[in-house]
Amino acid sequence: MEALRAEGLEKRYGEGETEVWALRGVDLLLQSGKVVALLGPSGAGKSTLIKVLGLVTHADRGDLWMNGERVLEGGRPVADVGELRRSHLGFVFQKANLIPFLNARKNVEVACEIGERYSPGKRAAELLAYLGVGHRADAYPSMLSGGEQQRVAIARALANGPSLILADEPTAALDRDRGRAVMDLLRRVAHEQGTAVVVVTHDHRALDVFDATYEMEDGRLSGPNLAA
Amino acid sequence: MNLAFQDIRHHLGRFVATSVVVGLLFAVVLAMSGIYQGLVDDATVLVHRVNADLWVVQQGTRGPFADPSRLDPSLELRVAAVPGVQSARAFTTQVLQRDRGGRQLRFALVGLSFPEDRGEELDVVQGHAIRQAHGELLADASLGVAIGERLRLGRDEYSVVGLTRQLLASGGDAVVFATGADAQAILADDSSDALIAERERRLARLRDTDLGRSQPALEGLVVDPRWTFPAVAAPPIHAVLVNAAPARLDEVRDTLARWSDVTVWTRAEEERLVLQGMVEKARMQLGVFAAILVITSSLLLAAVLYNLTLEKTHDVAVLKLLGARATRIMALVVEQAWATAILGYAVALALGSQAFPYFPRRVVLTETSVVGVGVLLLVVSTLASVAGVAYAIRVDPGPVLES
Repeated sequence: MEALRAEGLEKRYGEGETEVWALRGVDLLLQSGKVVALLGPSGAGKSTLIKVLGLVTHADRGDLWMNGERVLEGGRPVADVGELRRSHLGFVFQKANLIPFLNARKNVEVACEIGERYSPGKRAAELLAYLGVGHRADAYPSMLSGGEQQRVAIARALANGPSLILADEPTAALDRDRGRAVMDLLRRVAHEQGTAVVVVTHDHRALDVFDATYEMEDGRLSGPNLAA
Repeated sequence: MNLAFQDIRHHLGRFVATSVVVGLLFAVVLAMSGIYQGLVDDATVLVHRVNADLWVVQQGTRGPFADPSRLDPSLELRVAAVPGVQSARAFTTQVLQRDRGGRQLRFALVGLSFPEDRGEELDVVQGHAIRQAHGELLADASLGVAIGERLRLGRDEYSVVGLTRQLLASGGDAVVFATGADAQAILADDSSDALIAERERRLARLRDTDLGRSQPALEGLVVDPRWTFPAVAAPPIHAVLVNAAPARLDEVRDTLARWSDVTVWTRAEEERLVLQGMVEKARMQLGVFAAILVITSSLLLAAVLYNLTLEKTHDVAVLKLLGARATRIMALVVEQAWATAILGYAVALALGSQAFPYFPRRVVLTETSVVGVGVLLLVVSTLASVAGVAYAIRVDPGPVLES
């Protein structure tokens, strides 16, 4: 099933001599239940693509569909962005970005409350247990390790059963073992929950977890390179 | 889940500290408002309490508080004889400062027209009104004297027989009541040297008049203490207080106003004279200062709450990415600002109720000022947090979450 389709996405920053093309005619098709990597050097446009796909940044041109519904037309949103974030999108960043005054369980519960789709307490308990941090449910973010924080962040991203998770270098702040564990989790989420997962990464040691990889350079996307 | 409550619970120490600082700030605003009101109340409380319909004072003056007023004691009887007058009382007042055991006792001495006026209408809270023609005092509790305490004033000792509460002169000094005769005796208490000096002053004043220069023989009479030539004698009373039959008040006033040697003020006019004449500048000064304080405190509160809101920019960005509606984000910020304002208000009121009674001058908290400060806190906290969240909600969450 088609989770996301992008056609002709373009994004420029600056004007004149300072103009930089972050995205140049990017086309992308993602199927549900697949985990794909976005690779490329710094400044290639990976993070910009993630933000455009997540409706955090507007594109200058291009169209976007989520689950068959057109959400961007000519670079502008044509759907309720808030509603899309509540029901279709989940974000995981380099830093977990948990709300510091809520414990792990409440960080997930608040996302459930916002999504209004699941019973917050039950869903949070299930997700934390599923991601192996159920025993840390009452701990505040400052009491969690980096890996635990990212697991809670993934649980939060999954809170409303999104069709697409966008992860921007989720393992950059973790050591190799913890980074690998997070990548494995994202793969598991994609395959078991049927969620499409896009991961921006520089970590070439974990490429085996992805179903496909894309390369970005100077705003152009190439791929997919399918896993062997 | 109430996010504001969760945030407060997690950062309880910071929340309480901020609220206490806000409370201290607005306790000062309450104090200034109360000091202002206290000044106004103190200035008029004596006029209120003596409960006269009309104040008869020296012609052309705004006495007896805002302007010196000198009247012959016989005026009391003249006024009493006016049809419609129910009572006429002689009134004298003078501020005295006497040393007592190394402590300065400063008070306004008011003479009552005993036996008609014994001070029974002055709301005596302890002891009783004046019963004896000589030797008894009613004093305000703020003077720090007790029932039965004896004070030496002039050549005699006087016993405190009753205490009033918050009965102050316009300068904030406690008021002490004595019979008119005792008040006159206390005020006229001069040493022998003072009497000799007064005789010399009388002679000098007489010699400054045409009468004195043309009739030097009058000098013998002037130095006689029984002689009361108006140009040189001390004024015996300062005003006559009149109570009239309600239906005939205007008639009495018109009658007295026609007398060429007096001026008549109603109670409301007398209060206005006191406020405009005696405390106007102090009142304006305090009023301007109170206004500046209100503005400064409001700006400080707004800055504190605005900065607290900006500190939540990251959390707001997270909530936006989760798809939170604006009302939920607003609630996080505004409810917390309200909680800070409400706790700060409670601290201000608690602090005020405990500390204000120990202020040297009376601090009067009116319903208007208490409610007004509360409303001000709520309005400022709402505006500041709305302004803060309006900024935070426009922030692009992408860079915030990457930083």
